[in-house]
Amino acid sequence: MMNNQPTPGKALRWFDPRHRQPGTWAFILNRITALGLTLYLALHLIMLGKLAQGPEAYDSFIALAKTPWVKFGELLVISAGLIHGLNGIRIALTSFGIGVTVQRQLFWSFLTLALIGSAIFGYFMFFVH
Amino acid sequence: MLGTRPKAREGAFLWLIKILAGLSIVIVLGIHFVVNHLVAPEGLLNYADVIRYYQNPWVVTMEIFFLIAVVTHALIGIRSILLDLNPSDSFLSILNTILIVVGVGAVAYGIWLALEIASRGN
Repeated sequence: MMNNQPTPGKALRWFDPRHRQPGTWAFILNRITALGLTLYLALHLIMLGKLAQGPEAYDSFIALAKTPWVKFGELLVISAGLIHGLNGIRIALTSFGIGVTVQRQLFWSFLTLALIGSAIFGYFMFFVH
Repeated sequence: MLGTRPKAREGAFLWLIKILAGLSIVIVLGIHFVVNHLVAPEGLLNYADVIRYYQNPWVVTMEIFFLIAVVTHALIGIRSILLDLNPSDSFLSILNTILIVVGVGAVAYGIWLALEIASRGN
């Protein structure tokens, strides 16, 4: 019962990629993307406040959003959203007892879909628009 | 050993809300991307486009619902992450208050912003 107690001083183990099951990778990915998306949500709500300041404030913000580094950040947000959303569908399904025996396959399939989706978004963001 | 298991501190109700909010986000985000980036030919990229988009009351309703779902899901999610650090009961009750204040504040701000944008139509 004490396995989930925090162990200060052993934090370096977090960065040891060995001996991890797919479920652990799913958990790690879900958590990192969760924190990233929460940060994005806060920034997004703050930046949309520029709409209330009128056309000049908002349109100059959009001009900034079209610069390459901001676009790269947006691609990370899209990638995180796809990973978190698709993996979340697996969690919701298995929570209700659906697909529990095939959840490894579900995880790898959804992760592949998320990476393909990110590549498509990246292509359109950097090469089409 | 029976009886030594700590009480689950997230609870079935919050867990169910988190799952349902998560599924709503997947659905609404799908609609959002189709409407904003496929139906609108050049996307909604300037002030005038956004104001025009918000003249449709269904859009305002959907965005407010989306806002509530995302904020709820994010804050319950932060709470479950912090629960993994085994906070004391007194810290947890302070945390609950902070999360409720932040959540109500974010939703109130978002609804104000959505209605403000909608009211700026010609």
